[in-house]
Amino acid sequence: MIASIPSAVLLGVDGRPVSVEVHVSNGLPGLTMVGLPDAAVRESRDRVRAALVSSGLAWPRRRITVNLAPSGMRKAGAGLDLPVAVGVLVASGVLDPAAVDGLAFVGELGLDGSVRGVPGTLVLADALLDRRLVVAEASLDEARLAGGSCVSAPTLSEVVARCTGRHPWSEPTSRAPAPAVRAAAADRADSGDLADVLGQPIARRALEAAAAGGHHLLLVGPPGAGKTLLATRLAGLLPDLDTPTARDVTRILSAAAELPPGAGLVTRPPFRAPHHGVSAVALIGGGSATMRPGEIGLAHGGILFLDELGEFPAAVVDALRQPLEDGVVRVSRARGSITYPARFLLVAAMNPCPCGGAGMPGGCRCSPAARARYSRRLSGPLLDRFDLAVRVDRPEPADLVGWRPGEATAPVAARVLEARRCARRRGVAVNADLPAGALDELAPLDTGAQDLLGRHLRSGRLSARGLHRVRRLARTLADLDGSGPVLGVPHVAEAAFLRGDRALLLGEEVR
Amino acid sequence: MSGVRDRERACAAALVGLPGMTPVRLSLLLDGLGPTVAWSAVRAGSHPGDPSRRFAEPARATEPGEVARRYADAGVSVLLPGDRRYPAALVGDAGAPAVLCAVGDPAVLEARPAVALVGTRSATPYGAKVASGLGRELASAGVVVVSGLARGIDAAAHAGALAAGPDAAPPVAVVGTGLDVVYPKENRALWRRVAASGAVLSEAALGTAARPRVFPARNRIIAALSDVVVVVESHRDGGSLYTAEAAARRSIPVCAVPGSVFSHASAGTNDLLADGCTPVRDADDVLAAVALARQGRGMSGPLPAARLRTGSRTDAARPAPAPADRVQRSVWEAVDDTPTSVETTLLRTGLSLAALLAVGEELVDQGLLTAGAGWWSRT
Repeated sequence: MIASIPSAVLLGVDGRPVSVEVHVSNGLPGLTMVGLPDAAVRESRDRVRAALVSSGLAWPRRRITVNLAPSGMRKAGAGLDLPVAVGVLVASGVLDPAAVDGLAFVGELGLDGSVRGVPGTLVLADALLDRRLVVAEASLDEARLAGGSCVSAPTLSEVVARCTGRHPWSEPTSRAPAPAVRAAAADRADSGDLADVLGQPIARRALEAAAAGGHHLLLVGPPGAGKTLLATRLAGLLPDLDTPTARDVTRILSAAAELPPGAGLVTRPPFRAPHHGVSAVALIGGGSATMRPGEIGLAHGGILFLDELGEFPAAVVDALRQPLEDGVVRVSRARGSITYPARFLLVAAMNPCPCGGAGMPGGCRCSPAARARYSRRLSGPLLDRFDLAVRVDRPEPADLVGWRPGEATAPVAARVLEARRCARRRGVAVNADLPAGALDELAPLDTGAQDLLGRHLRSGRLSARGLHRVRRLARTLADLDGSGPVLGVPHVAEAAFLRGDRALLLGEEVR
Repeated sequence: MSGVRDRERACAAALVGLPGMTPVRLSLLLDGLGPTVAWSAVRAGSHPGDPSRRFAEPARATEPGEVARRYADAGVSVLLPGDRRYPAALVGDAGAPAVLCAVGDPAVLEARPAVALVGTRSATPYGAKVASGLGRELASAGVVVVSGLARGIDAAAHAGALAAGPDAAPPVAVVGTGLDVVYPKENRALWRRVAASGAVLSEAALGTAARPRVFPARNRIIAALSDVVVVVESHRDGGSLYTAEAAARRSIPVCAVPGSVFSHASAGTNDLLADGCTPVRDADDVLAAVALARQGRGMSGPLPAARLRTGSRTDAARPAPAPADRVQRSVWEAVDDTPTSVETTLLRTGLSLAALLAVGEELVDQGLLTAGAGWWSRT
């Protein structure tokens, strides 16, 4: 007899529907699995058999053939255990085919017959929206985020009991309940409050502008100046994700098995800080059999923080350039190609030179050769993507005496939100996305500001390409201060300063 | 000059240019033998100073006459000990170069006192200002300023000496590279002016590129040429401390310019002061040290015009006028004489960043502040 059970497997951040066909016939007892299963899928033969036997169900002493259709696509993961088991039960006549009609199954089986959750349940459920999906109890919340009809069962014998109607499905099977939204305030506390930052008014202003305008931020400073502290505070300044982005973020986290159990829809922007030993594949994605999304995908909608930018291999850092430009990653491998969104705020921290002292005259003790080697590691095109490049120094204690404590996260985040509203009224998500052609209309300059930029251009402090970036940044600063549509000298001067001199990055010689 | 002497110079230049030649190996080869004899012996592979005969093969591929023509074409003269133009200060020195290449006129060193002004390549505005001020005043007082034409202090000292005008004593540079290799490249104009007015010396063959070990070696020549060595600004492990050490070994007085105890760039010079070196506040301090040094060695010749405490101190000692405007004044007061970051100034003044940047630019335009990338300092 033959059975065909719908299920799905994970590839990248998408679920691919798979039909599990089981044929039971006379012949030498045994189970053959065809249709390009990978190791974990092939092993399901033993798990399924043990689970059936432990659940008090008969393992047919006949020849079983399992085909995973479409048979040309590689299948990975243990989520096919449950559909294979159900298929065997139907094909051997234990279950009536009508009992599983309209159902799809995703789940891993334990040897004792328990049903376990699998990574990527959300995206798998997305691929099976036309059916009622049976998943493990632990995965039910996640599966519901897809918006389809889902049910769960704790064990294989319960699955059989509920399919046949002997027991009811554990949960109401109507529309999914409203996704659980995590308390935004609690999440902000995770990343620490901006009030912890003492002094450092320039770095604070840069953080605010980065959060409001989506400007990539480079923090340059000696070790121990608080670059990492500042970067982690940035996550708290970003507003909650809008629903489409939140769905994308949740899907990516689910596909990467990083969605915490019971998390619901992720509404806070993620913060990813890969170590500088990260490989290009881990950063961009496509590594494992399921072509797991990389760190930049996991940072979608949030922040990718690269601490010690100078220590990252050049090839790894340069792989960021295309996603930074397009906002999506395309990874092609022999197994197939995947595309997923990766629109993130890039924040990087680095020492100005190996000894950390460059940037202030007389501060650097490196040899010119060591400095040159260090600066060669950073590609100019990448450095150019940073709209904000500020120097972070250890504040001198004497200068902090009597300095009022810094503003807390909440009021700054409110200004950020307001500035983002201004940007949306212009038709972009953030000011960093303002098209160059529309700058004259959306970010007009008064005569004083025009003179100022002209002086900067003539003196070589600003390149023609930098000009647009300074104007976008000035727009953001003006939005944060709630000033009018025309940009004046103060905001343009401030933007030119915060964009930073390229010499600032690698220290400057005094002649 | 006889043809014999020309042949000696050609052979010496050819020896210097052999691959793998170092000052020590060269003096070993020339020790007790004239360049001509040494050259033939090296070429024949029979020189006792070259037991492994490493130089024999390249020497056979070299024609001294050809080498001499290249030097002549480049305008470089080759000086041997005993030549009239070979600096007298080097004669009898244990580390004297066996062969010295020169552009310009090394005779400017004769009958004039010489002071080495050396220091770090990553100088602060303070160090650069002191170096150029000392360079100018010493040159005006008839002292030859000797330095290395490196970035930072060296360049500032030479520029200062040249700024003293055509009547002042011309500067002399001792470089580590070949005389046809300008390093660092941004000093090309300065290099030409020093060569045109005084002299640029090197013990390296034409074409020798900048390598880390050539610079400490040339520092001994700078020290040996000078009556007094002044370290203007140096890190704790700075290369200019080699010059100070080389001077101390030759009993040449070493002076140092004091700096802020917070400045890394003055850590080495402040250490020298703690070790008992003479502090330098202005050119008069240096002139006094020069007079003492020359008297102590029984040198004849005119002493520099020491204007002990009669003239005005270097500009640095004169208080700069504070701006009259209240806001400008508060910003100016928040900036130190040493580079102060914009962030520190912001903390000290409590102004908004935009306002501070505007005031800072005004002060720079008025010449009261110097601006760098993210820092200001008082001028």
